[in-house]
Amino acid sequence: MITELLKYSVSNLWKRKLRSFLSILSILIGITAIFVLVSFGQGIEKFVNDFAQKQGIDKLMMMPGGFGPPGTSNIKFTEEDINFIRKINGVDEITGWMGKNGKVKFKDYKEKYTLILGLSTDREEARLVEEIATIEIEKGRNLKDGDVLKAVLGHNYLIPNKLFKKAISVGDKIEINDMPVEVVGFYGEVGNPQDDSQAYLSYDGFKEIFKEDTFEYVAIRAAPDQNPAQLADKIKERFREHRNQKKGEEDFTIQTFEQAIETFTSVILIINGVLVLIALISIVVAAVNIANTMYTSILERTQEIGIMKSIGARNRFILFVFIIEAGLLGIIGGIFGVLFGYIIAKFGGFTAAYFDLSMLRPYFPWWLIIGCLAFAFFTGAGSGLLPARQASKLNPVDALRYE
Amino acid sequence: MKKNIVIKLENVWKIYKMGEVKVPALQGINLIIREDEFVAIMGPSGSGKSTMMNMIGCLDVPTRGAIYLDNQNIAHLSESDLAQIRGKRIGFIFQQFNLINTLTALENVMLPMIFQNKQREERIKKASELLELVDLSDRLHHKPTELSGGQQQRVAIARALANDPEVILADEPTGNLDSKSGHKFMDFLKDFNRKQGKTIIVVTHDKMVASHAQRIELLRDGRIIRTIKNH
Repeated sequence: MITELLKYSVSNLWKRKLRSFLSILSILIGITAIFVLVSFGQGIEKFVNDFAQKQGIDKLMMMPGGFGPPGTSNIKFTEEDINFIRKINGVDEITGWMGKNGKVKFKDYKEKYTLILGLSTDREEARLVEEIATIEIEKGRNLKDGDVLKAVLGHNYLIPNKLFKKAISVGDKIEINDMPVEVVGFYGEVGNPQDDSQAYLSYDGFKEIFKEDTFEYVAIRAAPDQNPAQLADKIKERFREHRNQKKGEEDFTIQTFEQAIETFTSVILIINGVLVLIALISIVVAAVNIANTMYTSILERTQEIGIMKSIGARNRFILFVFIIEAGLLGIIGGIFGVLFGYIIAKFGGFTAAYFDLSMLRPYFPWWLIIGCLAFAFFTGAGSGLLPARQASKLNPVDALRYE
Repeated sequence: MKKNIVIKLENVWKIYKMGEVKVPALQGINLIIREDEFVAIMGPSGSGKSTMMNMIGCLDVPTRGAIYLDNQNIAHLSESDLAQIRGKRIGFIFQQFNLINTLTALENVMLPMIFQNKQREERIKKASELLELVDLSDRLHHKPTELSGGQQQRVAIARALANDPEVILADEPTGNLDSKSGHKFMDFLKDFNRKQGKTIIVVTHDKMVASHAQRIELLRDGRIIRTIKNH
């Protein structure tokens, strides 16, 4: 019975090709948009989760309270601050980042402005930084004690025509804020163009060039027996007292790494969610369109409905016929929507990768595909529900006479 | 010995409301139709023929009175129950053939069997047999639009017989056929009446058609005014 029902529905949709096509198109557009947006949203979430997993969850970040890009805040942490926190029970390791925007010059090429960081050369502290920033030496060596006018550069300096026309190699001389600096190594790719264009100095090098010794960020590793969130609260309280600040008026924030990532991800996911909502509006329009198509189709087939009823079709059968037809419009739109969505998302992913935004890599979990198909089917079938009910309740005598 | 009663109408009234005005289409019809009978219900247009056919065919229920189909009063059944009874016990043949144009001849004949949940193999077998019976075994996979009027009406006979109904109800069956096809059609109908013992009711205004029946009920203004026996 199902086979016949499907065959009958398909032949009816085929008979009204253009109208069916337009209905399918309307739902296809919505599903394509949703599929693309959600796959990117999922990709970002996956990227961030993988990132967080690599970093572990035992880390805390302390930042100036003012909101703004690194290097622009007025509030800084001092070495004294760091030593104070280091003594708090439960803090296993602590290190600070110095950071300032600076000018990088290589040979006679046009200079570049980027974030210059000053990092600790203590081995344990350096490891903490590497874990948080997910950086690893790719070429040459890391900074070590005694390095002053020596730098490690981000991955993008290794690529010709990216920052400078020629790639820089280990041993080359560059200038940072007009001071000659020797390149000793390169970090591997992080995945976003900002991080991959940074330059790293030792504390001594940073002080030499920028004449500053305050810290932009402080990273803390909780001792293995500590709950990171509780430790964050404890540090916040102690450091507040140390700075003579009232509760709620601190000029710094401290977050576990998880919290920090959540804050970051939630902003992106909210934007993504808003876009998905807009796409949902197009699905609503598609649903109205399908309902309209079905009403027209029922009007045209009133006599046919009368015939079927007169030879024994129950109301339920008529109801099924039209719901299935509407559902078919939906699922066909869904299948092509997912297909186009996949192609567009893949293409978008490649484009993003080309521009070094490897964070924007779409991810296609199986539930997204199944979900989009089911959603398309139920949108179609649901829009067909009212028209189908109307059709099934037609009086056979009137329906037979209808012309 | 008298044969079993297939259909009995007892004081059947049908009153349509046109706004404030009540129009009585049937006014106290009493009628008994027995097994194997070939009955014509004849009358001019406006006599209540179509309403009567709707009543006998369980397409509609009377305003007043009772209709017994195999001793079951159908006057108060729901539309879905009526549909089930129609599908099983009554085979319709319409003036406009009323085939479904998107389906082939074979599929059209199979359709009533789908509504009775018959198995697919059984449906195909039975439908092919019936189409062979009406000389259309070479047209199984043609759509109605590819068939002549006479052929379409014969597909309609096959469809009417699909669920082995007790009654075949034909409404002006030759109205859209030329006289040759009309005669051929009536011969088929008579054949089914004689050889297979089907009860046949024809609603018509055409004397030629009515002349094939054993009994003619003359209808005027919603009343049976005369019964003519043909033998």
